[in-house]
Amino acid sequence: MGGERLKIILSLTPPLLIIFTLFFGGIFYGFLQSLGYQPAIGKYEINFSAYYNVMFSERYAKLFWTGLGLNLWVSFASTFLAAVFALFGALAIRKTFFAKTICNFIYSLNLPMPHLVVAVGIIFVFSQSGLLARFASQIGLIGSPGDFPVLVKDKYGLGIILAYIWKEAAFFFIILMSVLQSLGENFEELAQSLGANRWQRFRYVILPLVMPNLFSASIIVFAFSFGAYEVPALLGVIYPQMLPVMAFEFFLNPDLNARSEGMALSIIIAIIVMILVVFYFWLTQAKIRKD
Amino acid sequence: MNNNLKKINIYAIYLGAIILILPLIAFFINAFSFRWFYPQVIPKELSLQAWVRLKLIPKSGQRTFEGFIELWASNPAVIKALLNSLSIGFLVTIVSIIIALPAARVLGLLNFRFKKLIIFIMVSPTILPPIAFVLGLNINFISWGFSGNYFGVCLVHLVPIMPYVVLTMTGIFANYNPDFEHQARTLGANKTRTFLLITLPAIAPGMVVAALFAFLVSWSQYLLTFLIGAGKVMTLPLLVFSTASSGNPALTAAISIIFIFPAILILFFTSKFVSGESGATSGFGKI
Amino acid sequence: MSKLTIKNLIKSFPSMDRPAVNNVNLDIESGELVAFLGPSGCGKTTILKMITGLFQPDSGDIILDEQSLLKIPTEKRGVVMVFQNYLLFPYMNVNENVGFALKMKGVDKNIIDQKVKEMLELVKLPDIGLRKPKQLSGGQQQRVALARALISNPRILLLDEPLSNLDAHLRDEMRDLIVTIQQKLKVTTIFVTHDQEEAVLLADKIALIFDGELQNFTSPKNYYEKPKNIKAAKFFGGVNFINAKKDNHNLSTNIGTVHYKGENYTDLNEDNIITIRPENIKLSKNNDFNDNSFKGLIKSVIFSGTHTRYKIIVNDLELECSLQSVGLQDIKTDDTIYVHLPSNKIWAMNE
Repeated sequence: MGGERLKIILSLTPPLLIIFTLFFGGIFYGFLQSLGYQPAIGKYEINFSAYYNVMFSERYAKLFWTGLGLNLWVSFASTFLAAVFALFGALAIRKTFFAKTICNFIYSLNLPMPHLVVAVGIIFVFSQSGLLARFASQIGLIGSPGDFPVLVKDKYGLGIILAYIWKEAAFFFIILMSVLQSLGENFEELAQSLGANRWQRFRYVILPLVMPNLFSASIIVFAFSFGAYEVPALLGVIYPQMLPVMAFEFFLNPDLNARSEGMALSIIIAIIVMILVVFYFWLTQAKIRKD
Repeated sequence: MNNNLKKINIYAIYLGAIILILPLIAFFINAFSFRWFYPQVIPKELSLQAWVRLKLIPKSGQRTFEGFIELWASNPAVIKALLNSLSIGFLVTIVSIIIALPAARVLGLLNFRFKKLIIFIMVSPTILPPIAFVLGLNINFISWGFSGNYFGVCLVHLVPIMPYVVLTMTGIFANYNPDFEHQARTLGANKTRTFLLITLPAIAPGMVVAALFAFLVSWSQYLLTFLIGAGKVMTLPLLVFSTASSGNPALTAAISIIFIFPAILILFFTSKFVSGESGATSGFGKI
Repeated sequence: MSKLTIKNLIKSFPSMDRPAVNNVNLDIESGELVAFLGPSGCGKTTILKMITGLFQPDSGDIILDEQSLLKIPTEKRGVVMVFQNYLLFPYMNVNENVGFALKMKGVDKNIIDQKVKEMLELVKLPDIGLRKPKQLSGGQQQRVALARALISNPRILLLDEPLSNLDAHLRDEMRDLIVTIQQKLKVTTIFVTHDQEEAVLLADKIALIFDGELQNFTSPKNYYEKPKNIKAAKFFGGVNFINAKKDNHNLSTNIGTVHYKGENYTDLNEDNIITIRPENIKLSKNNDFNDNSFKGLIKSVIFSGTHTRYKIIVNDLELECSLQSVGLQDIKTDDTIYVHLPSNKIWAMNE
């Protein structure tokens, strides 16, 4: 069966070549640079000083650790809230009612929407002169724009979290709808006939059934929001700053020595995401083994 | 369910829907009213000023067919970016489908050693953030001469697209019976005609979804285009980002509307294909 | 016209520890209807796929009318296969499906239409040309698949488990249709099945295949009366086996000496096995047979409609006998009985 093996190799080579040269090649070269290896400016030594600088030097340590804290806060909060909103939305919407198709479409609308546009939309709605502030002013809640709370470009990353909720809730929603649809209502009706009330049916029947999908979707969302650039770049502040934005700015710094720090930051982001994913696989594998 | 609760439930859904489309409403108000000052909720006057300033619509009085042609032929920045976005999207989509087709077939139909590992490698760009590879790649591209040009941008777009196209199409082939091809061969169809008459129609619906999706990923790409294009390849997301940063809401809104148009169109046409099980869905989260 | 010769055919797969097809030799005459019979995984479908060219053999040759097929691409062999699950192209209607092979040959559209009509009449489905495969029942799909295969006058027609996906009542109908069409068109036909009854009812000759090896290739009747070995005999429902030794033109067994008339006596080994079909054994309460008659004890009597089955112990050996229920003597469990093995009905074979 030499022919078949040759066919497998020939078919898989082109996409793997792209992934290896561009993706892994890029990571590898970035890693080399983060170690201080920069032939372009005549630096050939290899050390971890960029990592040390970023994490512990007086100049960057505070920036880094607050940035990391903001990253974790934004990713956790937006993933959790998007999942919760989507879960309630999906549970409410699956029963038939007037204009269900339209609602379904609106709830899925943000799915193909680029993050960039969602971020702009959040500015339009939540900024101090945005739509909500205008509504508040119309009904007499606030006077000048300054009375409206700072929800965009704020130091707690609220605007960033809002943008991710907007966008990723649609993603969770689609996944949950298809899970709920494939499950049907038999389990719930059975539980009801066994005496489970509304809350119990949600807690002991629906939640365990959708949890595996919800969890793996959460990992995707968390990993994405942890490493994405556009939304925090548009909706964030200079301090505290999320790590991807920080890495990018180091990289664009005219001082080429800062490049190593930028690369080190991007590698740190990748490592954190990787640890998370490995942890997730370990969890699910352990669960499979247990079952 | 008792009736009151049912009503509350439905009102909550309507309220959620309204909140969800608030940004969209804001886009349209901003784009079609030039002086929409606080605290107006509804603008005092409608205006095409933003579109005129973007040179997408001629000044009043010149809005004839010739006027439009003349204006667009003068190659305004938005049109230029739009054409770049479109052509890069089409090119990258076609290339990724052609590259992914044989690989997806092998992954979907055959079992072999290291298959799981290869799939894992294939999807790794979907897990790790783009910033992890693009900074290093940028330096490589500069030395290879791919930086700051159209070709380099297309090449780097293949990285986020390839995994989804391969994954989606592998899913198609996993449910595909190659005996149909064998049947056609024994009935006298040669390899080319078997592919055109049997394989292609069978995989076409899934392939269209993969293609639309690939296009959308390329269309939405900001960071990769910005870094690899080095400011020389202008696409719509770059224009949206820079306009948004400079702070003119009307212009930002107008460009954004052009930018989201294909997304809504694609959702409209593919909504029946987009479900939690499809490989494409997981990709939508990352646009 | 279409004589098919299979020579020393060998095919291995990396996933299997024995060859899937091991040194198979067959001569199939023009116009014959041949069954490849064996349990699933015995290699019979693999042989079909090598005849079509979808698999390449490791070694050996497949010759159709003095010409090796191996170098000829699938689509030019004139060998058409009907797959087990019919595989009607889902986005083509019935007419387009049936006409597919002629379209591939570039035949004129009007001729195709005419021929499609003929074929659909041949399979007795004249009015369904515009339907999509989804709208057809399983039996109809099978017929359309058959029409599609036959339209280009194939030199060899291959049918993979043609009846296995059909309900019992459709099976008889389909079987008759296949035989009728095959006799009408005189196309050399090979079909694969795991059901010996189906093979016997349909085939002129049966190739019995176990574990990739051809056991025997002969008429259905011979499988019942003159099986080549104990495996073949058992596959065709043989139950009575008696160890025997050659003994001066007779065979000696531990129930006594058996008089033997089989033409294969000289080919037999010293140690061999006698078999006899249950329906060929005769019973009598009185010893009124003069030849090959042995005394035994009735162990059980099972009435099963037209036949009644008896288990008889003869000298520690259990034999099974099946007699027509009509006009039976009154035989009960524990009766002493004389068992007659007619010398022209017993068959001895090497192990």
